[in-house]
Amino acid sequence: MTSTAQELHPALTLEPGRTILELKGLEKRYPGTHALKPVNLAFKASEIHAIVGENGAGKSTLIKLLTGVMPRTSGDVIWEGKPAALATPHEAMALGINAVHQEVVLCRHLTVAANMFLGEEDSRFGILQQRAMVREAQKIIDDLGFDLPAHVVLGDLTIGQQQLIAAARATVRGTKFLIFDEPTAYLTRKEADQLFTLIRRLKGEGVTIIYISHRMEEVFELADRVSVLRDGTLVGTRNIAETNDAELVKMMINRSIEQVYHKEHFTPGATLLEARNLSGKGFENVSMTVRAGEIVGLYGLIGAGRSEFVTTLYGRHRKSAGQILWEGKEVQVNSEHDAIRLGMALAPESRRDQGLCLNLPVGLNLNLPIYKRISSNLLISSAQEKTEADRQIANLRIKTPTRNALASSLSGGNQQKIVIGRWLAHGAKLFIFDEPTVGVDVGTKAEIYRLFGELLSKGAGIILISSYLPEVYELADTLHVFRRGKLVATHGFRTANHEDILNQALAEKQEKPGGQI
Amino acid sequence: MSTEAIPAERPKRNYNALFGLTLLALLVLLWIILSVATPSFASANNISNLLRQGSMIAILAVGQTFVIITGGIDLSVGAVVGFATVIVAMLINAGVPVFLAILVTLLVGVAIGMFHGFGIVRMGLPPFIITLATLTSLRGIGLLMTNGNSISINNDAFQLFSRSSFLGVPNLFWMVILVGIPAYIFLHHSRWGRYLFSVGSNAEASRLSGVNVQRTIYMAYTLSGLCAAFVGVLLASRIGIGNPTQAEGWELQAIASSVIGGTSLFGAVGSVHGPLLGAFILATINNGANLLNVNAFWQRIITGVLIIVIVYFDGLRRRGK
Repeated sequence: MTSTAQELHPALTLEPGRTILELKGLEKRYPGTHALKPVNLAFKASEIHAIVGENGAGKSTLIKLLTGVMPRTSGDVIWEGKPAALATPHEAMALGINAVHQEVVLCRHLTVAANMFLGEEDSRFGILQQRAMVREAQKIIDDLGFDLPAHVVLGDLTIGQQQLIAAARATVRGTKFLIFDEPTAYLTRKEADQLFTLIRRLKGEGVTIIYISHRMEEVFELADRVSVLRDGTLVGTRNIAETNDAELVKMMINRSIEQVYHKEHFTPGATLLEARNLSGKGFENVSMTVRAGEIVGLYGLIGAGRSEFVTTLYGRHRKSAGQILWEGKEVQVNSEHDAIRLGMALAPESRRDQGLCLNLPVGLNLNLPIYKRISSNLLISSAQEKTEADRQIANLRIKTPTRNALASSLSGGNQQKIVIGRWLAHGAKLFIFDEPTVGVDVGTKAEIYRLFGELLSKGAGIILISSYLPEVYELADTLHVFRRGKLVATHGFRTANHEDILNQALAEKQEKPGGQI
Repeated sequence: MSTEAIPAERPKRNYNALFGLTLLALLVLLWIILSVATPSFASANNISNLLRQGSMIAILAVGQTFVIITGGIDLSVGAVVGFATVIVAMLINAGVPVFLAILVTLLVGVAIGMFHGFGIVRMGLPPFIITLATLTSLRGIGLLMTNGNSISINNDAFQLFSRSSFLGVPNLFWMVILVGIPAYIFLHHSRWGRYLFSVGSNAEASRLSGVNVQRTIYMAYTLSGLCAAFVGVLLASRIGIGNPTQAEGWELQAIASSVIGGTSLFGAVGSVHGPLLGAFILATINNGANLLNVNAFWQRIITGVLIIVIVYFDGLRRRGK
């Protein structure tokens, strides 16, 4: 597998199949954690190499080592036959190693063009050649087949569109080795297709692609080979043609796929919440009911109005027309506070922006909604504060050294458990989960789904929002499909097929670029 | 966000205590050095003086810290102090009973803080702007009220208070304890204290968890205004005059004390004991520099360097290396 130290000019086109990057015993230790046990792996030029594994399996550590964000503990990285230190991000980029991260790390307030050329601006005598850069950026974007304008401010695009720009940006920098870390987490199907086209094209140009995803169907659609990490160990590498879904999942979690979607059926009880012809910012004329013991799924693309609908139920935004009924009585929900008092709980879409106080302890995050209950007058009972936090940590199997660890130090899946777990002690009756499993691995997903079952058995109702069809399809007792702010179809448990639901959510027309909400 | 388990940082509470101890050690070290270097430092007289000098900034720094923890800043506190000296002086000279005059002055401080909350929450102004605006206007209003003159307070009992001691400790320092203990309980052991941190860390997440974010912001600025008005009363008592131009630049000293005490200007990190220690470290440096006949200009430079050094090392340790 090794390509012996032949003198190669960097500009030389790489022949497909030749080893471009080799890891020899690459290892990373943190104090107290062995994040990546010695890994031996060779990446070939012009291959799409998927890496799958649960949260905490070592995927992100591997990326950080390859992109020079963190130094390795031991082992060697051989780049084009020569050892590379990869001590700084700059060095990695100079070699041609780039990464597109799950969350867009670009400047939201600058234009698309300015972002594309950030750090490599075209200037003449110190004056930025703005128009030339917009023209150039537009050419690149058009060339890639993305229907997006280069002159608009990046923050005006949807997250999915921003992700495409981030990908486009990475391709124009002499990249030979490009890492995608869960790029489709926030993408619509159409955007994902555009991204896949881009990835295949890069492969055709000889670029090596590392593709990290939790979505198996994407791995099978794109990859040539797939490597599985578990607990920091490389479990194995397979040619995609010689493996299947079940084998990969088994390698990842030592558990079969049927155990992931764990659906319990309960007889629905009384109606908890009813929306009658509810309208607000981003959605119109939506009616639905949620009963105790059932999961109501809301499926649609990002920006279809699902999140806006539930945040209005929750009092975050004002309704413009219609009624909200709680346990049969009409109520005015003017603030989150009102909603929580009625018995609603919301686990929001973005852990980072809406869900967690990242630089505060896990315990505080868990107790946030119940401080009123665990304090007499104003003073907090520190004993209760501790027991409540420890109870949730144990119940939800949150992996944290202590309740005093900062939320930012936990993995994505464990953070998500905090966002969900904080409502369990609160005793809410209606739980709204907005994309609860984005960026969460199969094992944690299964735990979250099992939690749903527990909530239902206690007589709670659940609204589950997801852009991931199998999730709502396998779990929801009633499935509502949203498209552009309207509720366009309703199905029972597994009564429709994937195709039909997808078509209802997409309809015939394409979305307009920049047309968010 | 990374999807990997990153080794957890050290528990926060321990860290806070450790940092507090380091500051305390620094303060004690300064005292030891100064006691050796100058004979007059360790005298009872000078220590009392030092405690008086540090007390007022210390109280301001506590109020300031509440605001900074929410991710804001209160630039108006110096001006509020000056303005409060005018209010309390005018009231006392008009024959209002002292306790009532003090109460009204404190309420004025509360009102100013509420106004800041209003500007931030209702008008959507950045904290920096609204408090900068009140900083300049309060000085102006005070000057208008006094015609630019100082008002001598003709009440000896009122002035005696700040010059007296109780159990050998200056009354002004007792005031620090009077403010510090409730402030400590409030910030570290009450629900609203937790909300200050959570709002400073992530206002949206707090709101969705049922925290009344607007009320929390009102509360932080109101407490800061209240502390500043209280310091105004103490200052009026100490110098015996009401003058709107007093306490020039105290807001910066209060912010400096808070930051030296481990408060993060990004919000969500801070304590009560830290800023108190910070204020007395600054006071010790000024006091010691005076005794050592160091040029007053140098004192400002030393303060600046100290801020950089302490915050730098604090940042290093926070990052865990």
